[in-house]
Amino acid sequence: MKRPVLLLAGAFFLVPALLLGYRVAVLGYPVFPSVPGETWEIQMEATVGQGHSNRIALWTGLPPRGTGVTVVDEQYFSGALNFTIHSEGPNRFGIWSGPSEQEDARIFYRATLRFRSPGPLLTVPRRPGPYPESAGREEIALAQSLAKRWQNLPVPTRLGAVHEAARGNWGSPPPSEADRLRWAAIYQKLGGPSALWLLFRAAGLSVRLAEALPLSERVYTKAQSYLQVWDGNRWVRYDLENLQRISVSTKVLPLTRDGAPAVRVTEGQLTGLRWTLAKRTSSHWRLHFDRIVRSRHFLDRWSYFHLPAEFQETFRILLLVPIGALFIGVLRNIAGFPTFGVFMPVLMALAFRSTGLTYGLGIFAGVVTLGYFLRRSLDHLRLLLVPRLSLMLTLMISALGILALTGNRLGLREFMAVGLLPFVILTMVVERFFIIMEESGFRTALRTTLGSAAVAVICYELLNWERLQLAFFLYPELLFAVAGFQVLLGRYTGYRLSELLRFRPLMGNTP
Amino acid sequence: MIARMAGIWRAARELRAAGVLGMNRRNADYIMARNPRSRFPLVDDKILTARLAEEHGVPTPAIYRVIEHHAGIAGFERGLQGDGAFAVKPSHGAGGMGIVLVERTGEGGFFKPNGALVPREALYHHISNILSGVYSLAGQPDQAIIQALIRPDNVFERVSWRGVPDIRVVVYRGVPVMAMTRLPTKASDGKANLHGGAIGAGIGIGDGRTRHAVHRSRPIDRHPDTGNPLDGVEVPHWDRILLASARAFEMTGLGYLGVDQVLDWERGPVLLELNARPGLAIQIANRTGLWGRLEQADQAPAGIFATPEARVAWARQAFPGGR
Repeated sequence: MKRPVLLLAGAFFLVPALLLGYRVAVLGYPVFPSVPGETWEIQMEATVGQGHSNRIALWTGLPPRGTGVTVVDEQYFSGALNFTIHSEGPNRFGIWSGPSEQEDARIFYRATLRFRSPGPLLTVPRRPGPYPESAGREEIALAQSLAKRWQNLPVPTRLGAVHEAARGNWGSPPPSEADRLRWAAIYQKLGGPSALWLLFRAAGLSVRLAEALPLSERVYTKAQSYLQVWDGNRWVRYDLENLQRISVSTKVLPLTRDGAPAVRVTEGQLTGLRWTLAKRTSSHWRLHFDRIVRSRHFLDRWSYFHLPAEFQETFRILLLVPIGALFIGVLRNIAGFPTFGVFMPVLMALAFRSTGLTYGLGIFAGVVTLGYFLRRSLDHLRLLLVPRLSLMLTLMISALGILALTGNRLGLREFMAVGLLPFVILTMVVERFFIIMEESGFRTALRTTLGSAAVAVICYELLNWERLQLAFFLYPELLFAVAGFQVLLGRYTGYRLSELLRFRPLMGNTP
Repeated sequence: MIARMAGIWRAARELRAAGVLGMNRRNADYIMARNPRSRFPLVDDKILTARLAEEHGVPTPAIYRVIEHHAGIAGFERGLQGDGAFAVKPSHGAGGMGIVLVERTGEGGFFKPNGALVPREALYHHISNILSGVYSLAGQPDQAIIQALIRPDNVFERVSWRGVPDIRVVVYRGVPVMAMTRLPTKASDGKANLHGGAIGAGIGIGDGRTRHAVHRSRPIDRHPDTGNPLDGVEVPHWDRILLASARAFEMTGLGYLGVDQVLDWERGPVLLELNARPGLAIQIANRTGLWGRLEQADQAPAGIFATPEARVAWARQAFPGGR
């Protein structure tokens, strides 16, 4: 291969290597841009009516920062109310306050969250925490004396033993009859959750109350309360309804800890409340966006993420088109694969994006078939080239228009999702198909058609590969690397795979 | 997987050893390196080619008329030379596309050599398609040439089915390096087009005799329609054919060229067209790699490149032919 070509290709590879290295090493970009992780969207809507005073104040627990949860993006709507975020201990509260109106005030909050570790609540407690407020000195003293029996047990075992005792299984030897009766009275007075809390605390374990939402895609009208006990490694959760221990694998989105309620209306009256949790699959984009938008660095300020959102979508695709072109170059110059035209399959793949793959291929097959017969019947009319092509275009657009109207009547959305791009391309395909058909026969025409469709499908998958989109969007310098490969391909003078077959009769001959 | 890769590698090495020229190398190392883009119009436009050939004393079929506008189509056949026999060709056509041969003009229309009638209107429409650029290389508006019909020499009569067999010579830096004849078959509908199903038979540069033949990319010994052996046919006027081919280099300045000639029974070899991107099937017809010959030509003593005669003489001894 010639030296200037190698130098040029080398330069094309060097640019992205340097830029990428700089971004990863200095700016802290991820090496593999699609960070695996779960992203959830939480949405809270509340309505607050006028209470006794003519003011409204609502406190709500917000997803905490840190502790395994990253708040990627937060939005709130406060209308005429003031909104502040207030951190208090482990909790973060959103506080809406202001004068009330006649109508209920609408409060809206939305956040995008990412969970990094399986257990989202990994804050090591420093102190054992308080006793339940309802427990008096006498009750605490009894609980402490009852808990003496577990003081030598290791923490995880102690946890289990206390939990069993609260349900009546004290183990052997059981405590005295009198103690058991007194405990039963306390249990009655405090209620199960507080009694359990009291007993855990008396046994020297760290206990706290938390309110959270179980992570599943649904709507909640109230947060769930949990009793959390530190077992030395993690917080173990107990359901306050039935006092059952909750499996560690059950994930929750914490709202408040240390006993604060998830929603508290200090002034006014809560008339409506709901949380909606939804899993988000394609929000890796936002994760990067969030980071880059806040950065003041030159490379970050010149990122595609700063484009208005409606243009970002275009560039996500556009930046991948050169790979599609490279792919077709490889197919033609290394494999020797026949396609209609050079970049027709890429254009087809772009067209499939607006229609979807199945329907796109359907259109392709339908239009080529229909177009072929139209073209054949037009052949007898002996129309000039350009008017003939435009007539075909008109007829095919009419046919698809009728299909869309039919789809509308039948309620089939796919029949209407037709992009603007495909028609002109498809008209050209029909013309090419007709000529190949006339000159080389049905088999060649069919083979070329299927080949083009197959390449278009592969290009479509390539263009829709989100990881690749993100990689090029984050690191547009990768285009230089694509150019490098294109330069190298341009000087590939070896045999095409198809030629190995074609020239097989010549193998073993000596010139 | 690895075995398959190794197989591919071995196959490529064997083709290399056999000196086979692949499409990529032809494009990059020969066409791009030897054929200046500015000269392509000379060969892509048959009218220009014919004019050039005339200047260099290379015989071509007479051009009766050039149709440039749609207005000139209707009644073009009136007052034409050649007693109603002619060929219609797009000036910028390639691969024999868009060519219609008319042997006889009658009341109802035009009769093709196979006796089929082409209604008058149909041929007019065909010519209008030519003018619109249906057959031109880039879809540009084109001109239609009305040319003298070739009456083929009967040398290939036993090994072709109707139509006009032609002779393709690949010329590198003015040296004829490889040759073949394209013989029409029933399957090719009398057209001398390999893709269309014509037979390609290699011709020894040195002896001017046909040797191996290929039909639809497969070796073949006898003509499928006439059953006669395809090898050993001696091409008349061989030296004139080679000389005209070699002159095409001076004519066009193109270093890598396909020269297509036909044998007219009256005039002998006439130049039909030139091709700046000649195909590679000629290697299969000759069962010889083209690359090896091109390299050989590059090693030839510098003196032989001075005149067409010297180049032909060198080529005839360098590539003697025979089985």
